[in-house]
Amino acid sequence: MMKSLFLFDMTFWLYLAALALYIGYLFARRPAMALAPAGHLPENFDERDGAWATQLGQVATLVTIFGWMLNTGALLTRAFERMEHSGTFAPWSNQFEAMAYVSWAIILGYVLLEMRYKIKAVGAFVVGIGFIAMGAASLLPYRYQTAEPLVPALNSYWIYIHVSVTLTSYAAFAMAGGLGVMYLFKERAERLGKTTGFYAAFPDLETIDELGYKAITVGFPLLAFGIILGAMWANYAWGGYWSWDPKETWSLIVWLIYGAYIHARMTRGWEGHKAAVYAVFGFLMVIFCFWGVNFLLSGLHAYA
Amino acid sequence: MNSHPDASPKEPAIRPSTPGLGWDEFSKELVEFFASVKLAIFLFLFIAITATIGTVIQQGERAEVYVQEYGENAYRWFLRLGFTDVYHTWWFTSLLGLLCVNSLTCFYKRFPSVWRSMKQDKVGVTMAFIKNLKQQAEIPLDNTKEAVAQQLVHYFVTKGYRVLAKNDPGEVTVYATKGVLGRVGAHMAHLSATVIILGGLIGTYYGFQEFGVCLEGQTYHIPRGNFDLKIDKFWIDYHENGSVKSYNSTLTVVDGGQPVVTKTISVNDPLVYKGIWFYQSSYGDAWDQVEVARVNIKDKETDKIVKTVDLEWQKEQSLPDLNVKLSITDFVADFAFNSTEKKVYSKTIEHANPAVKLVINERDSVQATPWLFQQFPDLFNIKDSKYQFELVGYKPRKFTGLQIAKNPGINIVWTGCTMIVVGITLSSFIFHRRLWAKIVPGPTGVIVHLGGTTHKSQIDFQKEFRKLTEKIQTFKA
Repeated sequence: MMKSLFLFDMTFWLYLAALALYIGYLFARRPAMALAPAGHLPENFDERDGAWATQLGQVATLVTIFGWMLNTGALLTRAFERMEHSGTFAPWSNQFEAMAYVSWAIILGYVLLEMRYKIKAVGAFVVGIGFIAMGAASLLPYRYQTAEPLVPALNSYWIYIHVSVTLTSYAAFAMAGGLGVMYLFKERAERLGKTTGFYAAFPDLETIDELGYKAITVGFPLLAFGIILGAMWANYAWGGYWSWDPKETWSLIVWLIYGAYIHARMTRGWEGHKAAVYAVFGFLMVIFCFWGVNFLLSGLHAYA
Repeated sequence: MNSHPDASPKEPAIRPSTPGLGWDEFSKELVEFFASVKLAIFLFLFIAITATIGTVIQQGERAEVYVQEYGENAYRWFLRLGFTDVYHTWWFTSLLGLLCVNSLTCFYKRFPSVWRSMKQDKVGVTMAFIKNLKQQAEIPLDNTKEAVAQQLVHYFVTKGYRVLAKNDPGEVTVYATKGVLGRVGAHMAHLSATVIILGGLIGTYYGFQEFGVCLEGQTYHIPRGNFDLKIDKFWIDYHENGSVKSYNSTLTVVDGGQPVVTKTISVNDPLVYKGIWFYQSSYGDAWDQVEVARVNIKDKETDKIVKTVDLEWQKEQSLPDLNVKLSITDFVADFAFNSTEKKVYSKTIEHANPAVKLVINERDSVQATPWLFQQFPDLFNIKDSKYQFELVGYKPRKFTGLQIAKNPGINIVWTGCTMIVVGITLSSFIFHRRLWAKIVPGPTGVIVHLGGTTHKSQIDFQKEFRKLTEKIQTFKA
C-alpha cells in the first residue's frame, strides 16, 4: 500500500469530522442570536453566542485546516511516489488524484473565505462539497487510486499547468454551487419565517449571493485559461488545437454557461434566487464535464 | 432561464406611429439589437445547447453506423439537420458568426465612452448631476473647505484612486476614479472572439493536416514543403511494468538533396521545419513487411519437426544439415489475390490472414516459392520436397504514424486567446468606479455632496461608498 493512500484516507475522515462540526455549530447557535440586527459584525455575534457554539466553530475551523494540511501532505507524498514510478510528479494525473486536488482547492478556498469574511456557516456547505469530492475519490476502485505510469500523450510538462488550472476552476464553481444551495436553504427558511436556531448563523441573502458571484468570477477566467492551455497542449501533442473532442466541447459548454451568467448579472433581476438556482445548475454541468464525460462519452480524454 | 431571443429588434411594428422610419433610426435600433446583452446570453446558451449534440451523437461516422443505432428515419433527419457533423454546419457556423457580430457591435457601441473616460475626465459637474447618481450622500462638516478637500484627496490617493480637483470660488470639486482597466478588459475579451475565429478560418483555408504511415529507412517527399523526410529510426520505450512509456522516431529533413535537420520526435515533442509540424501520432504493425518470420520444417515421412528457423526479411539462410536454403521475400497481413492482375495484396491493414512468400532451394535441384499461411498450414504441398514448411509466427515491422500539419493562423488564435484570458481576468477582478464630491459652504462649516457610480459590482461599491461617507464624517479640523 502506498503511503499517500493512507494520508488521503486520513484527510477524508478529517473532512468528515469538520463537516459534522460545522453542522453541529449551526445547531448549537442560540436562537436568541437571530435577534442580532442586520449588518451585525460577526465578532459581536460570537461574543453573545457564549458557551460552546463558539468553541465548536473554532474546533471546526481547526479540524478543517488540519485536514487541509494533511491533504497537502498527501498530494506531496503522491508527487514523490509519482516521481519514482512515472516520469512526472504532478499529483493530479488520474481521476483519483484530480478529485483529491479539487477537494484540496475547495477547502483552501473555503479557509480563505472564512478568514476574510468571518462567516462559519458557509462551512457546512462548502466543506461538505470538499468532503464529497474526497469521498467520491476514495470510492474509486483501488487500481484507479495508484500512481500508474502515464500514457505517452499525458507525459508532458503541460500536465502541470493545464490540469491544475482547470481543476482549480472546477473548485471555484463547486464553491459557487455550495453557496447557491445555501442561498436556497436560507431563502426557504425566511419564507417560512424560520429565522431562529439552525438558520441563525447564516449570513444574509445578499452576502451569500455576492460570495457566490465572486466564486464564479474567479472560476470563469481560470476555466478560460485552462481550456486554452489544453488547446496549446493539443496543438503540441496531436497537431490541432481544437478537435471538438467531447471533453473539449463540454468544457466549452460549461464556460458558455457561466459566460451567460456573467452577462446576465449585468442585467436587472438576475441576482438572488435565479442566480442561486443557476449556480447549482452550472455546478451540475461541471460535475458532468468532469465525471460524466469520462464515463459516458468516448474521446481523447478517456484516460483522465 | 430564458433562451428565446426576446431581445427582439424593436422593429417598426413597435412604433407604428412613426411613419416612414428613417435609416438613421433603423440603424440605431439595429446596433441596439446586435449590441444587446440579451442577444449575448441567448447566443451563449444556444451554442452551449447545440454543442452538446456532437458529444452525444458520434460525429463523422459511416451511414450504416447511424442507421443501425438510430434507425433510418432518424438518420434522414440527422442528415437534414447536419447532426452527423454539427460543428461544421452552416447554422452552427452562423451562430459563431453572430457571436462575433454581437461582441463587435457591443465594442462599437460602448467602447468610445470607455475610451473617453480614460482620456478626459469630467471634473466640473453640476450639483444636479451628483444628486442624480445612484449612490449619493450629503455630509455636513464643521471644517473649512480646503481642509476637507485636502483630507478627501489624501484619502482617495491612499485608496489607489486617480484624483482631480478643481477649486472654484465658493466650491471645491473633487473627482476620483479607479479601475477603468476592468472595462477595457471586458472589451478586449469581446474583440478576442473575432480574433480567435479569424485565426481559425485562416488555418482552415491556408493550412493543412495530413496523416502519414511511414517505415523505417524510407524517404518520403513532402510536396507542400517541397522537401524530403527520411525516417532514420523508430522505436518504443517501455515502463518497468511493460506499459508503453513513449514512442519515438528519428527524422531527417532532406532539403535540396542535403540533410538539413535531424531530430528525434516523440509524443509531445514534434519537429518543425519551414512552418510544417511533424508529430509522433501513432504506430502500428506494417502490413507488407516483417522483421523476422519463424518457420517450422517437418519431415514429410515421420511428420516430425526437424528444425525451427527464424528467417530475417529478404535474407537468404542456408541450412547445410538439411541441404536447404530459405528466404522470405514477401509478406501480406490480410491475404488477397487479384486474379486479373495476378497479384497478391493485403486486403486490409489488419493482421487477419497473414502469409509469407518463402523461396526454397533444396539440394540445388528443387526450387519452389510457396505462400505459407499461418492459419492454414496444410494448404500447399511441395511435390518434390522432403519437407513440409509451416509459418508459425512472425514479428511485424512497426510503422510510425506521423501527423503532418501546417497552420498559418495559429499565432492569431493564440493572440486572441491571450486577449480573452487577460480581458476576462481584468474585468473579473477590477471594476470601474467614479466619484465626485462638491464641497460647498454650509450652516456649520461645509457640506460635502458626494456621489458615485459604477458599471457593475453594485454591492461592493455600495459598501465602499458607505465606508467613504463614514470616513468623511471623521474629517476634523
